[in-house]
Amino acid sequence: MALTLLLVLPLIASVALLAMPVTSRGERPLALGTSVVTALLAVAVVAGSHEVDVPWIRSLGIRWHFGVDGLSAALVLFTALLTVAVVVHALAGPTPLGGSRATYLGCILLVETGALATFLARDAILFFVAFEIVLVPMWVLIRRFGDEHVRDELRADAAGRFVLFTALGSTLMLVGILVLAYHQGTSDLGTLAQRHGSGLERGTQVVVAALLLAGLGIKVPIWPLHTWLPSAHTIAPTAGSVLLAAVLLKMGTYGIVRLAVATVPQGVAALSPVLAVLGVVGVIWGGLACLVERDLKRLVAYSSVAHMGFVVLAIASGSETGLQAALLGNIAHGIVSALLFFLVGDLKEQWGSADLSVARAALRDRAPRYGLALVTALAAALGLPGLVTFWGEFLALYAAWSPAPDRPVVVLRVCVVAGAVGLALAAAYALRVARIVWAGEGSEDAHGSAAEAVRDASGPRWGVVVSLLGATVVLGIVPQLLLQVSALDVVSMLTGSGR
Amino acid sequence: MTGLVIDVGPLLPALLPLLGVLVILVVDLVSPRLRQAPYAVAVLSVALAAAAALPRVLQGAGSSRTSFCAPASATGSPPTGVGPMATQQTCFWEADSLGSALQLAACFAALVCLLLAWPRPNARVAGPAREPLETVLLLTALAGTVVVAASRDVGTWLVALELATLPVIALVALSGARRSVAGSMQLLVTSLVSFSLLALGAALWFAATGSPFLTADAALSGASGSAATSARSAAEAAGSTALIALSVVLVLAGIGFKLSLVPFHAWTPTAYEGSSLPVATFLATVSKIGALAALLVFLRAVAALGTPGLVATAVLAAVSMTLGNLMALRQHDVVLLLAWSTVAQAGWVVLPLVSVSSLGIEASAAYLLTYVAATLVAFTVVALSAHEQGSAARSLTAYEGMWRRNAWRAGALGLALTSLAGLPPGVIGLFGKVVALRPVVAEGWVWLTVVAAANAVLGVAVYLRWLRPIVTSVETTTAAPAAADERAAARAARMPAGRRGLLVVAVAVTAAVLFGVSVQPDLLLGVLR
Repeated sequence: MALTLLLVLPLIASVALLAMPVTSRGERPLALGTSVVTALLAVAVVAGSHEVDVPWIRSLGIRWHFGVDGLSAALVLFTALLTVAVVVHALAGPTPLGGSRATYLGCILLVETGALATFLARDAILFFVAFEIVLVPMWVLIRRFGDEHVRDELRADAAGRFVLFTALGSTLMLVGILVLAYHQGTSDLGTLAQRHGSGLERGTQVVVAALLLAGLGIKVPIWPLHTWLPSAHTIAPTAGSVLLAAVLLKMGTYGIVRLAVATVPQGVAALSPVLAVLGVVGVIWGGLACLVERDLKRLVAYSSVAHMGFVVLAIASGSETGLQAALLGNIAHGIVSALLFFLVGDLKEQWGSADLSVARAALRDRAPRYGLALVTALAAALGLPGLVTFWGEFLALYAAWSPAPDRPVVVLRVCVVAGAVGLALAAAYALRVARIVWAGEGSEDAHGSAAEAVRDASGPRWGVVVSLLGATVVLGIVPQLLLQVSALDVVSMLTGSGR
Repeated sequence: MTGLVIDVGPLLPALLPLLGVLVILVVDLVSPRLRQAPYAVAVLSVALAAAAALPRVLQGAGSSRTSFCAPASATGSPPTGVGPMATQQTCFWEADSLGSALQLAACFAALVCLLLAWPRPNARVAGPAREPLETVLLLTALAGTVVVAASRDVGTWLVALELATLPVIALVALSGARRSVAGSMQLLVTSLVSFSLLALGAALWFAATGSPFLTADAALSGASGSAATSARSAAEAAGSTALIALSVVLVLAGIGFKLSLVPFHAWTPTAYEGSSLPVATFLATVSKIGALAALLVFLRAVAALGTPGLVATAVLAAVSMTLGNLMALRQHDVVLLLAWSTVAQAGWVVLPLVSVSSLGIEASAAYLLTYVAATLVAFTVVALSAHEQGSAARSLTAYEGMWRRNAWRAGALGLALTSLAGLPPGVIGLFGKVVALRPVVAEGWVWLTVVAAANAVLGVAVYLRWLRPIVTSVETTTAAPAAADERAAARAARMPAGRRGLLVVAVAVTAAVLFGVSVQPDLLLGVLR
């Protein structure tokens, strides 16, 4: 009951918000209340391990089957809590041009609905449907509420690219799901995971795995399928960027674990060298792009490509540690990228652009709160020990060094070495940003409005940033909080035994 | 034909529209100046026909009601049986749940078309009123569609299919000015070609099976006759299998014209553009249902042979989708966009038929129903907008800021477009894609699934082009929509309220149906099995 409510409540609220007339003032309590209640429901659902399973479409054998387990618990909680932060952040500042605030908030809640449904779905076709829900609201966020400083064609290009790439990915995934469901006779993810690929020939497994990985890889994004991401992140409003980076990308990696690794293990094992190499190429590619990128928002977007590369590498290792690292890396990147996009979004709102080549007053002395938060976030981005990303990336490299027995050790070890280089690149670009924005390299050339200090963070927005900072530090010190949630389910998933 | 058992019950969905035709003709004789009476009679008869088809839809899978049945011995089927089938009697009319679902959908779509075409009261026209003629043509075409879905013999099938087509040509010709004549001429020529192909296909079927019946029995007796009667050699049996395959190809081509599959699609944009919106709606929905129903009757008989899928079907599907979507991407007139989208969607409709099996046939019918449900909403919204803004409503820019001006209507159109694109919130369109792809995947057509996946993306691009102006806010647009609003208000002031009310009802009803099946797709997908 609580679970169905968890999915239906944000849906109904978003429809109400979208249908709300422009003159209405009710959007503030409605959106805030809904997101808070949804977060409470999420806590209750995760704490009680709720599950709902009733027939839905009998003619296709699809059941209304949602449930929470160790793999999804952290993501469900994170999504629900982050949405509260996004709504608070959106209410505390001006709404981007392009439409009413009610529409803006409605789209945010609709994205939340889709993400929660994706993480909770226990049926492959249901997963696909949920995966598609986020498309239209995210398209509206980018298309209508996107950066007003750029030409309309650029917004159209970014939004269109996002939708078309993702639609291609999900259709490929659908074909993979249909092949799998046809051969196994069911689309129930629990049953599929229990069979663990038995009854499927190796060739079929490889085909299914290739389709699923290609489809989900677009969403992750895995290099070279990432080309939609930088423009979408750069153009999207702050809420859009945060949700894209912190929640939507996770749907891809979570989908790989849930749909591919659990159901066609041999296929994924056969493709793991490709996966590992592409992941590491993403790490290096993203790092190099960050070293020269001029737009701060685009830089953060490229760093997402690099971080997701580590998650992909961890999945490719196929070991228990690897999957744990992937799930931890998911949350870690979610927290840090949300933090970075909130900060950069706020700065861009005041600066008018996020161009690093424009000389501006330094944050260090004039806006110490922003300065502190930015430096901490950058430290997390470069994987400093004691902060949450460190564990995800360190464990990923560790797992890939000693992978599961059926994986090619040599390829993976080469990937580990390259990944370590990627870590060095991460340090380099993080310090580059810190040097320019925080320490104020070249700020003496600043003139006009750029020379004035930004208004420092305060109020609810500062509260959002502080809570994310807290999560970064706390989970960096005690990662067991996350690891022990998923430990049992990772083991049972790798062996194919039901819990 | 003595001993023919006639059960009137299953015939009612076809008889009631024909009864309506008779009443309209009589009323017209008595009082030729009445304008609304023919429409009232037509709406009533179609509604009754839909009600008559409903119980057949709800009957369980496998069961069916038959009529015009002859005892088995009198039909010329082989004396030695091919299993238990031979003991059944052979019928000229069979209303199973799938055929009845198509009949019901056709009646519903025709009802919507009648609402859209409802005449303005008190308008003065010179000469005799055209309304009786329009309604008679529409009802006749509907009756043809209903008959073809239930027909089980070559003669009825062929005649009913033409009965469903020819009145539409006249409707197109009557509905507008010079452009509509061009459209109807193209339609006429393609129909003639299509008819000749169909007739040839039917003749080949008769030659191969020796039976006028389009049933699994007849197909089996033709193809595996050698097993039953030693008189026929194996070579003859092989020959008749080849003849059946050839007849399937000819029928596919003939029906390809009516379904507007590439390369038989050329008439579609011209006819849609030239005709009035109600007639275009009829072309896009009822005509497509009739064509697909005919194809399914034929393929169901062939399915018993267990033949592998035809490459021809796959190629037609792939080319139709791709060309339809690419051309739709270039249109700025919403009716033309819908016309090309019909071509693309026709590709999706025949896509599952690469698997000549009950799975493929049901999937094809299910996809067609989702397409009809969504297209009806799109057309009714366009008709309502055209009623207020005149011909300006046919351009994409007329939909700028619709979300803010009229949220309900924009919501209905948005739901229809996302259904056609196969994205949530149009969940039914999404499941339509799932259902359509299943047989393709099951038969292992890899290249076809790749083409279909690419076209799903192209389709998203097509419908988002229309969705974008709808969600664009008024503030960012120029003054043009505001001017359009004023014109609309002025027009609305001149218009009587009655007709607008009917259009609103049409939008509301079609949107409610689409919403209902989106929330519970089983309502639509479940009727097929």
